[in-house]
Amino acid sequence: MTRLIIANVSKSFGPTRAVDDVSLDVQPGEIVGLVGENGAGKTTLMRIAAGELAADRGVVEAPSAIGFVHQHFVLVNAFTIAENLALAGAAASEIELPDESRLVADLSIGEKAKLELMKAISRHPSLLILDEPTSVLAPTEAAELFAVMRRLAARGTIIVFISHKIPEVLEVATRVVVMRGGKIVAEGGTAEEIASAMVERRRPDGWPRGVPPRIVAIVGVAGNGQSELAARLRREAKGRVAAIPEDRTRDGIIAEMTIAENLALKTKTSPEKLIAEYNIKAHSPKQKAGSLSGGNQQKLILARELDRHPDTIVASEPTRGLDAESTRFVHDRLRAAAANGAKVFLITSDLDEAFALGDAIQVIYRGRLSEPMTPEEAAARAGQLMAGL
Amino acid sequence: MILLAITAATPLLLAVLGETIVQRSGIINLGIEGMMLTAAMTAVLAAQGAHSAAIGFLGGMAGAAIAGAIFGVCAIELRADQIVTGVAVNLLALGATGFVYRELEQSAVFVRSVPRLGFDASVPLAWIVLPALLALLLWRTMFGLRLRACGENPEAVPSVRAHRWTALAIESALTGIAGAHLALMLSSGFAENMVAGRGFIALSIVIFGRWKFKGAILGTALFGIAAAAQYALQAMNRGIEFHLLLALPYVATLLILCGIAGRVRPPEALGK
Amino acid sequence: MTRAIVAVVAALALVAGIGALFGHAPGDLLSILLGGSLDETILKTVPLLLTGLTIVVAFRAGVWNIGGEGQFIAGALAAFVAARFGIVAALAASVLAGAAWASIASLLRWWRNAPEVLTTILLNFIAINLLGWCVNGPLQEAGARYPQTEALSVALPARGEVHAGVVIAVAVCVAIWWLLYRTDEGLRLRATGFNPSAARFAGIDVDAQIFRAMAVSGGCAGLAGGIELLGVTHRLFERFAAGYGYSGIAVALLAQLHPLATLVSAFFFGALATGAGELQRSANISATVATLIQAVVILTMILFGRRSRA
Repeated sequence: MTRLIIANVSKSFGPTRAVDDVSLDVQPGEIVGLVGENGAGKTTLMRIAAGELAADRGVVEAPSAIGFVHQHFVLVNAFTIAENLALAGAAASEIELPDESRLVADLSIGEKAKLELMKAISRHPSLLILDEPTSVLAPTEAAELFAVMRRLAARGTIIVFISHKIPEVLEVATRVVVMRGGKIVAEGGTAEEIASAMVERRRPDGWPRGVPPRIVAIVGVAGNGQSELAARLRREAKGRVAAIPEDRTRDGIIAEMTIAENLALKTKTSPEKLIAEYNIKAHSPKQKAGSLSGGNQQKLILARELDRHPDTIVASEPTRGLDAESTRFVHDRLRAAAANGAKVFLITSDLDEAFALGDAIQVIYRGRLSEPMTPEEAAARAGQLMAGL
Repeated sequence: MILLAITAATPLLLAVLGETIVQRSGIINLGIEGMMLTAAMTAVLAAQGAHSAAIGFLGGMAGAAIAGAIFGVCAIELRADQIVTGVAVNLLALGATGFVYRELEQSAVFVRSVPRLGFDASVPLAWIVLPALLALLLWRTMFGLRLRACGENPEAVPSVRAHRWTALAIESALTGIAGAHLALMLSSGFAENMVAGRGFIALSIVIFGRWKFKGAILGTALFGIAAAAQYALQAMNRGIEFHLLLALPYVATLLILCGIAGRVRPPEALGK
Repeated sequence: MTRAIVAVVAALALVAGIGALFGHAPGDLLSILLGGSLDETILKTVPLLLTGLTIVVAFRAGVWNIGGEGQFIAGALAAFVAARFGIVAALAASVLAGAAWASIASLLRWWRNAPEVLTTILLNFIAINLLGWCVNGPLQEAGARYPQTEALSVALPARGEVHAGVVIAVAVCVAIWWLLYRTDEGLRLRATGFNPSAARFAGIDVDAQIFRAMAVSGGCAGLAGGIELLGVTHRLFERFAAGYGYSGIAVALLAQLHPLATLVSAFFFGALATGAGELQRSANISATVATLIQAVVILTMILFGRRSRA
């Protein structure tokens, strides 16, 4: 079996329909770019194709040799490159990393991504699925990846490349498939057509920019020192500091405690008032914080942090994994706080978000910051700076 | 003198070796104290029953295996909290062995002298051959690689439970021998709560040895010498109080735990 | 709640099973086990309640304080020495000593990353031997016949067998409940136990919080030792602690770490301990069966919940 046939596949998680009656037929040698926003169902669909998840309905016929490079690496940091390859049963691979005796813990994030790719490729899969592989790669590393993809496709491998970055997909894919809300909504087209198929709304433009810059957006590919920067900003900030952590489930909310208790950790305002003010969808303040959706958890964190009218806000990836409505809410709140006099540091890997919010934009690469730029300057140079050029 | 110290510390070394393997696979087994205690009792029962020290050692291994199995079912299969499970296993062993001991006190099983092994090859075996074999297993085989991966990032390994059970089985065998050795060779039978914290001392040495076998040997040797020094002091200085000297091994272990500071890096997935 | 009932049933079934093995009718056994004298049960409930609270506070803060035994002894030793200054001084000393003994472990954890699960256990052994030294040496009774101290002349006021320590213990129980659920300090403590990294992000000084939690935890165990000395035994001897520190673990887990439920749980284990003594006297079944029951209760509770703290 060398084709990938997905026929009328559906999958729900509780009340959420993650994949909704999707059909797809991919031939050997194709590079399919699967695009969509966060939560569109791309990863779920491919996990079903790879046999990691079972579909509720529908049929999948896939090759038996499948390689899947996930967004979250499955590497053993304490082992060397060679040991990780041995663990995965990897034979000789056509891409290589220099000095395989190095520990994975010492590798750059781009090298770790390459190692994951090596693991997947070395088994000579007939189907290779790559989930957001370029989210942690600089442009030169991404180009290298695309070359490998083309070579493999030329030899008959089916490649599915999941991404939300339209320019890259257009560069390497032979076919572009757009997903939104669990369905396939479009195939092919120009960049603008694809972009508007991906999203239901247009981002607001022309928000009055603050002078002096009240919102500083620090943008960069993940893994370039953002966590250390955030910690430093929190430490050095004057006055009351509000911190929006990058990992909201690990560092943000205390899932086992109620909404009211989470709020009480920092503010004395009544929980009912805050739930209403921040539009948190919950039936009672005594509800456990862990039962809230991602967007509502983020609103809870915002409520807790912003209610004290902080002087400085350090927000790391504040809209990661959130739907459009929650993202809008978070952006509005950050703008409002800035208008009220707070200094906001926004650390994000999303260029669109940086441009939407930032009065000034800085790029972070390997722990160092570029000088602040206006959005116009950044539009020209940000891409290069993010790649270290 | 040093040889005596090393011999006396052999059960401790076996426990340390076993627990190192188990922790490398990602599991903390606090119940090693209870496993040794159970093994000591079953070893004496088996040896007395069969009038053979060799059978006694097998009995010890069986006893440790039972305690280990209870721990494994709870901690590996059912994913219950490992620390509390270990504490429970210790209590279970304490209660069960105490209960059996008192029930059988009348039958004088524990009063008669126990059979002993004719020879004692334990020292070179335990201190040289065994660690070498275990090191080979853990660092030069695919099985060992996967077992260590279980302790670092279990997601990277398909059959985590099987590897952990194997580690636990090895630990049970070693602990069983340790308990049997303690009861049959070093003491003269079973006494209530005779393990006296060696299990916890073993846990501390595992950390001191940085989860490596060389460290295990070094740590246990150092501890054994310190313990022997304690006995020597007891013999020499009648002025120094008996009970305070009894506390020395535990104080020494506290110091051992202090010696590790922050630079020690346990297996990443340990205890999770 | 269901878990607790299952655990209790399992434990009782165990006793019935053991009894059957030795030829006793289960019904007889259970009636002996549960029919002990109320006074004796109350006397045993008091230390169990306090050592149970020791575990509740510690586990809720995410700290593995397995050192209740040693903290109990430290408290009793301090109470003995301070008794010459009166009861209040003795009790206060016991609380401070228990807190201090526990703080050795939290200090080593903070300073050297020494895992408190091991240091508290090691400190138990050290405390036991310290007690042995005291009752065989400096604190031994005048005639030096037995390894025990003189009897204290001060004692807790009592009505019959039952001493005022009951009132103190119940008051402490309520105070701990109030601390954990009605104060900011308790909120922070529980947050630290649930998720230390999120707690840190929310501005909580996790290290300091753990110090305070361990001190309160140890203080409860120390108080238990002081009360046991001043209310029941009136003198110190080897084996004074008799496992109360470890029993607290079963008490706390059966109560699912809720302070008020700990009162009920401690009463249950107190009744069991009394009954086990009675079993030994009348049916000749070793009192160590009580330890077995604790182990079964703990295992049952964690098996069903997969989660034994916070």
